[in-house]
Amino acid sequence: MTPEIGQDLSLFHLILHASLPVQIVMALLLGASLMSWWFIFIKMFSIKRAIQVTDRFEREFWGGGDISAIYQRVAGEREGAGEMERIFEAGFREFMKLRPQTGLSLNAIIDGTRRAMRATYQRELDGLESHLAFLATVGSVSPYVGLFGTVWGIMIAFMGLSSVAQATLAQVAPGIAEALIATAMGLFAAIPAVVGYNRYTHDIDRLANRMESFMEEFSNILQRQVTSKAP
Amino acid sequence: MISAADAPRNARSPRKALAGALALGVHVLFVLLLIFGVSWQTRRPAPVMVDLWQALPEPSAQPPARPQPLPPPKAPEPVKAAPPPPQPVEKEPSPPEAPDIALEKRKAEADRLKKLQAAKAAEEKAKAEEKAKAEEKAKAEAARKEREKQAAEQKRQALLRQMEAEDMKQQLAADTAANEARMTSLSEARAAASKRQAEVASVVGRYRDQISAKVRGNTRLPDDLKGNPQVRCLVKLLPTGEVVSVRVTQSSGNPAYDEAVVRALEKSSPLPLPADRDARAAFVPELSFVHRPKE
Repeated sequence: MTPEIGQDLSLFHLILHASLPVQIVMALLLGASLMSWWFIFIKMFSIKRAIQVTDRFEREFWGGGDISAIYQRVAGEREGAGEMERIFEAGFREFMKLRPQTGLSLNAIIDGTRRAMRATYQRELDGLESHLAFLATVGSVSPYVGLFGTVWGIMIAFMGLSSVAQATLAQVAPGIAEALIATAMGLFAAIPAVVGYNRYTHDIDRLANRMESFMEEFSNILQRQVTSKAP
Repeated sequence: MISAADAPRNARSPRKALAGALALGVHVLFVLLLIFGVSWQTRRPAPVMVDLWQALPEPSAQPPARPQPLPPPKAPEPVKAAPPPPQPVEKEPSPPEAPDIALEKRKAEADRLKKLQAAKAAEEKAKAEEKAKAEEKAKAEAARKEREKQAAEQKRQALLRQMEAEDMKQQLAADTAANEARMTSLSEARAAASKRQAEVASVVGRYRDQISAKVRGNTRLPDDLKGNPQVRCLVKLLPTGEVVSVRVTQSSGNPAYDEAVVRALEKSSPLPLPADRDARAAFVPELSFVHRPKE
């Protein structure tokens, strides 16, 4: 590795002249960064939409609307429905199916409804939390990958130094600079991923809390409906 | 019964394409930022080497200016075509090749010029190049005017050639002047170094005063001290100013007084030391300390 003093140490020059392992690490990190940003944006859209739709549904539900009218609307728009709407729909459908059946106790009806809601809730939560594991992985691993690239690059730089009689900074500086780019890229991939992961887990936790309390409240409402009609 | 309505719904597909485009956008933005940021940074500290000249080096500036005035007279007068070629080697070949019109005169003139030149070079050292420049300019101007005016007069040719010879000599003079300028810049650098030395010396002196003031404050003079005896100590110091050891190299003759000075030095640890590396070299690792009871 001949040092080229005074040559322009532009970023691309450094990347193109890096050793192969360092280049592989850089490519890996670039891919990880692209993927994590992609997921960050996907999650941003989907969580924002989930919160909006949930807000709208809660307003509609607690605004005193007719439950069966809401069910009709939600069942109509299959694809556009939000998470909480689907929980409501699953629970209410189960309830409607169970109620006409004779010989079922009140508890059985409510339990069945609740199970149906719980299942939908789990599924929805799973959908919301998808890709978050990837963000967590990128956030925790890519600094180490970048560090590996840097260590490797510095090793190469110092190996090149061993063959010259007089060691100057100019002989190692380009190698170290190119190696440090790997760390920079690792951090560039990791920081948004960690921020996104924390942000989205927080948002999803809050959404999950809202869904769970809705499930409880809706069960109560259904129970009231049954007991008021049963006698 | 299980109906299609019971089947779990798939989560609606989020806007994946838009998200992908945004992710790409973020990266492109970041890379652009890096390119511009880094290229701005790398350009700024580009090393620049500067040579300080008192005046512009004359010889390099002259050749391009020279050929311009010559061609015009060459065209109308075929006889004049002779002078330009011998120009670079004017000194020797010009006398034999020149017409016999003013040979004697020219020789005398050349001699005179040589003497003049020698005198000039000897007496004018600092201002030589400025003068040469001014003279040269004036002479070049005059030569050009004359040539244009008296292109028909062949008599003047010899005179012109003489002038050219003069110019050549002046070029030489300018060369030597440039060399002198270089020498003066060198001596300036030396002067700067000596100035730095003087600065260091003043710092050293200041700190020496501070140290002796501090030691003086800690000295308890014995009662039986007479006169103004001098004690010289060799103090070993750490770079932080901590006193490692004190040894009396020249006693005052009064052991109690010697002892008092040594104690005072030990008590004064750490001694104040200058931050400047060169000035510090006067104190660390060993400092020769002289103490007199009365200053």
